[in-house]
Amino acid sequence: MSTAQISTPPKLQLDGLMLRYAVLVGLIAAASIGFGIANENFYSLTNLGILLRSISVLFLVSMGMTFVMLTGGIDLSVGSNVAFSGGVGVVALTTTGSATAGFVAALLAGMAIGWVNGFFIGRLRLSAFMVTLATFALARGLALVIYGADSINVDNGAFLWLGGTSWGNLPVVIPFVAMVFIALSVVLYRTVFGREVYATGSNFNTAFVLGRRPERTLIWVYILTGFLAGLSAIITVGRVSSGQPWTGLYLEFDAITAVILGGTALAGGRGRLLGTILGVLLYGIIINGLVLTGTNPFLQSLIKGLILLGVVLLDTFTQKGRAT
Amino acid sequence: MNNRIDMKGIGKSFFATRALDDVDFSCVAGEVHALVGLNGAGKSTLMKVLGGVYQMDEGRIEKNGQPIEIAVPADAGEAGISMIHQELSLINELTVAGNIFLGRELRKGNTPFLDKAEMARRVKLELDRFGLDLDPNRPVRELNSGEKQIVEIIRALMSNSWLIVMDEPTSALSEEDKGRLFEFIQRMKAEGISIIYISHHMPEIFGIAEHVTVMRDGKIVLSERTAETTEDHVIRTMTGKELENFIKPHKETKGEVILSVSALSKSEDYRDMSFDVHRGEIMVLTGLRGCGAPELAKAIFGLDGEYDGSITYRGQVLKPGRGPAKSVKDGMGLVTENRDKNGILPQLSVRDNIALPFLEKSVKGGIIDSRYVDNVVGKAIADTSTKTESPAQEIRFLSGGNKQKICFSRWLDSDLEFLILLEPTRGIDVHAKADIYRIIEDLAERGVGILILSYEIDEVIMLADRVITLYQGQSISEYRYPNFDKDKMLADMAGVGQSH
Repeated sequence: MSTAQISTPPKLQLDGLMLRYAVLVGLIAAASIGFGIANENFYSLTNLGILLRSISVLFLVSMGMTFVMLTGGIDLSVGSNVAFSGGVGVVALTTTGSATAGFVAALLAGMAIGWVNGFFIGRLRLSAFMVTLATFALARGLALVIYGADSINVDNGAFLWLGGTSWGNLPVVIPFVAMVFIALSVVLYRTVFGREVYATGSNFNTAFVLGRRPERTLIWVYILTGFLAGLSAIITVGRVSSGQPWTGLYLEFDAITAVILGGTALAGGRGRLLGTILGVLLYGIIINGLVLTGTNPFLQSLIKGLILLGVVLLDTFTQKGRAT
Repeated sequence: MNNRIDMKGIGKSFFATRALDDVDFSCVAGEVHALVGLNGAGKSTLMKVLGGVYQMDEGRIEKNGQPIEIAVPADAGEAGISMIHQELSLINELTVAGNIFLGRELRKGNTPFLDKAEMARRVKLELDRFGLDLDPNRPVRELNSGEKQIVEIIRALMSNSWLIVMDEPTSALSEEDKGRLFEFIQRMKAEGISIIYISHHMPEIFGIAEHVTVMRDGKIVLSERTAETTEDHVIRTMTGKELENFIKPHKETKGEVILSVSALSKSEDYRDMSFDVHRGEIMVLTGLRGCGAPELAKAIFGLDGEYDGSITYRGQVLKPGRGPAKSVKDGMGLVTENRDKNGILPQLSVRDNIALPFLEKSVKGGIIDSRYVDNVVGKAIADTSTKTESPAQEIRFLSGGNKQKICFSRWLDSDLEFLILLEPTRGIDVHAKADIYRIIEDLAERGVGILILSYEIDEVIMLADRVITLYQGQSISEYRYPNFDKDKMLADMAGVGQSH
C-alpha cells in the first residue's frame, strides 16, 4: 500500500508564481530595451556596475522584507535601522580602530532593533505595522543622536572594502549579494525555520496547534531583517566612505514595492526569494533609467507611488478572480 | 390576528441526496412548535426553505390559506417570518435601539439628523410590553449573549414579524439567561407570536412547546401535541429502528493506561471529569453542543491551563497549559473541529501541510532531507487515500473530505502515541467518512490511544470501544462495547431526567 499512485511529477504549470516570474522577466527586458533606446549609456558595463551597486542594498533589505512579508507582517523600520546600525558601526570603528569591532557592532545594532520589533510583534502579538512604525522613528532618532546630526568620514580600508571595491567593472558587493541570496534560499526552502516562516504566514493558529512555535519564528524573522539592515549599513558606508544619519531614507518603501512586485502575497504564506530578486531588478532598472533619461527628479516619487498602487491593484483583482 | 403558515408536500434534493421528502409542516400564532431530529435529518434545510435561502423542488407554502412565494430572504421578511441565527448579527458599537432600527432609522422631520430619543422610546415601549428590563441606550458590546439574543428577537418583532425561528437558542446561555428567555417566549405566545424552536434538549421542549415535530432522513416521522407524547417516545422516533447497529471488529488486546484524567473541573465548561484511556483504545465523548467536551480536549492538549484536577500522560502529571509544542513533542496530536480556522495552512502545499508536525525528524545537518519528506508524505497520502493532483498542490484547492484526510495524515508518524479528534467527520461526505473511520481503526490497531469528541450518535457507536455521555459539562454514564444502548445514550445527551 505504500506504492502510492501519487508519483506523477508535478506538472509545470504556467500559473500563479511561475506566470508572474515570466511576466517580470519580460518587463525587465522591455524596460532595458526602452531605456537603451532612450540613452545609449544605459548598456555600458560601467552603468551596469553602477546600477547593480546602487541596488545592492535594496537586494539585501528586500530579501529580509520577503521573510517578514511571508509571515504576513511588514517592517517599516529597515531604512532607519540602516542609518542606526551604520552609526553604531562607524562609532565603534573610530573609537577602537578595529574593522572587526565595527562590523560586529553594526550587525549587533541591526539585530537589536530587529529583536525589539520581533519581541513586540511575536511575543506580545502587537500589529507589525504599528510596532515598526514606532521603531522607524525610534531608530532614526537614535541615529541622529549618535551622529550628532553630522556625517562621520571613514578611511579604514577593511571596513570600506565590501561596499567600495570593484574588480574591473564588477563591484565586489554583487557576488556578495548573490551569496547571501543562495544562503537565504537554503534557509527558506531547506530548513525547518524556513517552513515555519511559511506556516506562520499561512495560518498562525494552525502552526501553533501543530506544535510549532510561530511566536518564536516571528522574533527570528525580524532579527534576520535587522541583521540584513546591519549588512546594508556596512555596504552603504563603504560606498560613500562615510557614515550619514539620513541614509536609508524611503528604503522601506522601495523594499516593500519590490517584494510586492515579486509576487509575495500581502497576507503572507505565498512568495519566493526569486520573485523578490526580479522585483528589485525591474524596480531598480526603472528608477535608474529615469535618472539616465533625465526625467524630472520630482516626478520620480510620483512614478514610484504609481508603480506600487498599480501592483497592489493588479494583485487584488487577480487574487479575487482566482478565489471564486 | 390568527396567522398560520402551512408548508405542504415540500421536496428538496441536493444532487443525489433527498434532503426533504414530502414534508408537511404547520405553525399557528400563539404557539411554540419544537422541531427535532439528528444531524442531517433535514431540520435546517426545511427552515432555509421557509426563510428563502433555499428554493424547494416541490410543494407549496401557504399563509392563512393563501399560497405565497418565498424566493429570497426578503420575501420571508415580507411574510412576517424571521430567523434568529446562532451567530448573532448585531453591531457591537451601536446601542440597542441603534441596532434595532438599523437600516430604517427615524429622522427628525426632513432633516438628516437621527431622532435617537424617539427610537429609544419606541424600543422601550416594546421591551416593556414583554416585561424586559433593558436600557435601549446601552451599547450592544456591553450585553451578554442572552441579552443580545433578546435584542435580535425584539428587532424581528419590531419589523412586524409574527413567526420567529430559533435554532438551538439556549446553547450559549447561562442558566439565568435561559430562564429569562423562556419567560420572554411565554409572553410572546400570549401576544400571538408563533415560534419554531429547534432544539435537542428534551426538558426545554416539553417545558415550553405546544407541539413537537420529529424529522428523520428528510421526512416527518412524528408530529404530536407535547401533552400527548413523552420524552422517551420522541427520542425513539428520532433514531428510528431500521438502522442496523454496525458490528465493529472485537478486539481484546488493550494496552496500559496512557492518559488519565482525574477530577478535572473548569467552572463553566466541565465538572469533575475522571476517566482513563488505554493504548489502542478508542474512547468517545459525546453530548450536545455546549456539553464541555471540546474545552476538556483543549485542557488535555495543553492549550488551556485554567482547570482544577490533574491530567496524567504516560505516567507523568502534565503541567497545565504547557502548549501544543510540548504536547506534539511528547507524541500527542490534535485534529481540530474547524479545519479552515486552525486545521490547515491554506496557501501551502499538501506536502508542507502533512510534514509540519514532525519536520525535525527529516533534518540532517540542519537541512531538510527532501527524499525523506517525500517518502513520508507519499505514504501518508496513500494510506489515507487522499485525492490530490500532486503533493505540491496547494491544499485550499482540495475538497473538504480530502482536507480532513490531510489533517489526519499528519499524525500517522510512528512517534504518535495519543490522538485527540474533535468532530472528525464534520462536513464531509460518506465516502471520506468511511476512509476516516478506517484510519482511526488502523491507528488504534497500532497502539495509539484515541480520544474522540463526536456529536453524531451513529458515528459514536460505530467507532467506540468506550463511550462517556456528557450533559452540560457533567458525565452522565459510561458504556462499553458492545453494550451501546443508543436510545439511552441519546436520552443522556438530551438531559432526560435532568432538570434544566
